[in-house]
Amino acid sequence: MFCYQCEQTSRADGINGCASAVGNCGKDAQTSDLQDLLIHAVKGIAQYAKRARDLGVGSNDAGKFILYSMFTTLTNVNFNPARFTSMLVEAAEIRAAVKKAYEDAATAQGVAIEELSGAAAWDIPTETNELLAQAEMASVRAGEAEVGEDIVGLRALILYGAKGVCAYAYHALMLDEQSDEVYANIESTMDFLASDPTDVDALVGQALALGHTNLTVMGMLDAGNTGKFGTPEPSAARISPVAGKAILVSGHDMADLAALLKQTEGTGINVYTHGEMLPAHSYPELKKHTHLAGNYGGAWQDQQTEFANFPGPILMTSNCIIEPAASYRRRIFTAGPVGWPGLRHIENHDYSTLIQAANAMPGFAADSEEETITVGFGRDAVLGVADVVIDAVKAGAIKHFFLVGGCDGAASGRNYYSDLVDQTPKDSVILTLGCAKYRFNKTDHGDIGGIPRLLDMGQCNDSYSAIQVAVALADAFECEVNELPLSLFVSWFEQKAAAVLLTLLALNIKGITLGPTLPAFITPPVLNTLVEAFDIKANTTPEADLAAALAA
Amino acid sequence: MTGSHSIRLITQDDKEISFDCGADENLIDAAAKADITLPAVCHEGNCGACHGHCRSGDYVQESHSAGALSEQDEGHGGILMCRTHPRGDMVVEVTSDLSHITSGPVPEPVCEVLAVDDMGGQVRRLLLKVLPDESGVVHSEFEPGQFMELEVPGTDIRRAYSISNAPNWSGELEFMIRLQPHGKFSSWLIDGAKVGDRLNTKGPEGSFLLHQAGIAPRRFVAGGTGVAPMLSMLRQMAEFQETHESHLYFGLTTEADLFAIDEIEELKASVPNLTAEVCIWKPTADWQGFTGSPVDAFKRDLQADLAKGIKPDVYLCGPPGLIDAAEAAADELGLPYSSLFSERFLPG
Repeated sequence: MFCYQCEQTSRADGINGCASAVGNCGKDAQTSDLQDLLIHAVKGIAQYAKRARDLGVGSNDAGKFILYSMFTTLTNVNFNPARFTSMLVEAAEIRAAVKKAYEDAATAQGVAIEELSGAAAWDIPTETNELLAQAEMASVRAGEAEVGEDIVGLRALILYGAKGVCAYAYHALMLDEQSDEVYANIESTMDFLASDPTDVDALVGQALALGHTNLTVMGMLDAGNTGKFGTPEPSAARISPVAGKAILVSGHDMADLAALLKQTEGTGINVYTHGEMLPAHSYPELKKHTHLAGNYGGAWQDQQTEFANFPGPILMTSNCIIEPAASYRRRIFTAGPVGWPGLRHIENHDYSTLIQAANAMPGFAADSEEETITVGFGRDAVLGVADVVIDAVKAGAIKHFFLVGGCDGAASGRNYYSDLVDQTPKDSVILTLGCAKYRFNKTDHGDIGGIPRLLDMGQCNDSYSAIQVAVALADAFECEVNELPLSLFVSWFEQKAAAVLLTLLALNIKGITLGPTLPAFITPPVLNTLVEAFDIKANTTPEADLAAALAA
Repeated sequence: MTGSHSIRLITQDDKEISFDCGADENLIDAAAKADITLPAVCHEGNCGACHGHCRSGDYVQESHSAGALSEQDEGHGGILMCRTHPRGDMVVEVTSDLSHITSGPVPEPVCEVLAVDDMGGQVRRLLLKVLPDESGVVHSEFEPGQFMELEVPGTDIRRAYSISNAPNWSGELEFMIRLQPHGKFSSWLIDGAKVGDRLNTKGPEGSFLLHQAGIAPRRFVAGGTGVAPMLSMLRQMAEFQETHESHLYFGLTTEADLFAIDEIEELKASVPNLTAEVCIWKPTADWQGFTGSPVDAFKRDLQADLAKGIKPDVYLCGPPGLIDAAEAAADELGLPYSSLFSERFLPG
């Protein structure tokens, strides 16, 4: 195996990447190889799908398969190798169907049929042994000897960004939002990668185009969430348990949570959010369920301890699962793209077994003293007080905005973000989203004229909100986003963050401080390109980075 | 020699767990002191549940049953952890994944009898329901392949039986129990058991589990009621719609011993890629199926698998003779020992 798609990748012995039997995320070599092969198969589907769509016979069914497949290969989403062997069989069937649609349309329209090679022509073996024997051909580093690590790194930047875009698009799809244009752009991106591109300008151009696609996707996701669950509003989320039977929901998928809340209505079972599900407490249609009792625990990397201590079953939606410990592996359930060998997977929102498990378990014996945090400062809430904010800026009460957001992780050094936030001047506002906020969201940061200094804008999935606020502020002050007193401190961990970064770059947002470490797939020459074009910076110390931000 | 020694357990998934063990303690008891619950049932060297393999270090091993640990196995470092006392630091391989090694005491739920049915042959189906404890908690979690110890009512005698249904949250536990002449539990089943009776139980226990991270084809070789844990595994595979190419070899002595045939037919229809074969060792002239032991049939197919480069995961359950024969066949044909997962039916 070789994998360097996330921040925790190994950087030992001169190799930037996990190349041993088990990666730092817990993904074993067999699963990693099967994921690479699935991506290769997806490229083959995309080659035909793009050409079919160009002839007016696009298939969103193929597009949905691509979204789901790509999502399953994100860090900490699906480590069930058997699932990937099944998906490869499915991929062969879908590719055959798309190929036929393309060839039929070409024949009907009198267009010459292209003889495609590479992934499109790959004879996908049905025997697992034969499949695995071909893994090297599909490795992210395939061809590196010929084209060099910079080109491979740029291809990886696009691939990982595309995985993030697909994950967000899958989330949007679960909220009934989809778009032909997005499917077309994703197919086009994967078709581009299937051509083994080597031109740096073309690679950078494709990466930025993908960033624009991601902005569209995040807009769809925003529309899906607000359309189904209402506009997020500032709300107190309880972070201490109450007595009673309990279910914990982790991950990112609000549609899963909504279905569970309906099915547990009147059962006496309390539902708690974990990790990136925290913003649920700000959506009117979700928080109206009084048995949405609170938020439990912190960010994803602490789940093994927190899940072990939770006295009920756990539903893991979308991403961020890590190996279930013995103490809770029999009571953790997966949904959507998530998978782990031996865990019960729930399809079609049928939570009857989960509810049965909750009733069999003790739940919380007693109420804890009530503690709350405030969430729900999405773009509508922030822009709803835009006049007050703008006046405060003009009056000098607010001198700077910090966007401190992104993923949390287990790596040492991530206290950088809490130290940074602690040291921000009292006349600054901190916008945050993603799970990195668990490092500082339980601290009272005070307020400025009644506006809390820390404004929680939601999940990493809600990055669209932050972009909209930045654009609105720039409009209000009649300047460019880059001219605002706004500094972005983005912590990345996995491929959704890569997609958001590409979006920020596509919007020409400059001066982003990226951490806690730079992606291993970004080689020094590629980094130089990004520094020159976008002034991307790597974290140094909170003190130095803060001073530089305030001096800018 | 006195003093404490460091014991490093290497789990099946290549992870480590450590604890200290005094020279006068056995490994199971020392692990329990460190809040590590290792598989063990009889604690007297008879059942083989605590089997491990010493990779390095000195130790002494007390007497034990040859069925639980053969001389040959012992010669290659095989140990029963309940009979092993360290004489230096040890590194021991165990057949559990780290995520299956629990901590704390094994639950001892009280169950109610829901049904006792004749399954054919000399086999009874016993269906229990786990009752809530005093705080309302139902301790019904288990993994396919695990067993429970059931107490003979009115005594403190326990017998270990594999669970044959799939994990569930309704608290139901199903067992397939072959009646033993004059057996204590068998006698209760025949003469006393009735719906509504209460039973003290202990479990789940055992590390005979599906190698769930594997994608290799699965072969299940069962003798008699050794099919019970395999039915549990297959029933979960049906629920999870697992697509591993799988084959069940179910061995019985005569046609008169047939049981669980309907259950197997049902599984063939619901597990995506399952085939099954009943093997009769001493059939009548009317028998149309395979004649011989399940190991004979397994050996026939393993040869073909290996010729195609397929190394299946093999699950063995039944009397020691069946396990030994299957292991010998695998060894002879070149299937690595790491592909074998077994549970021996031994007196508890």
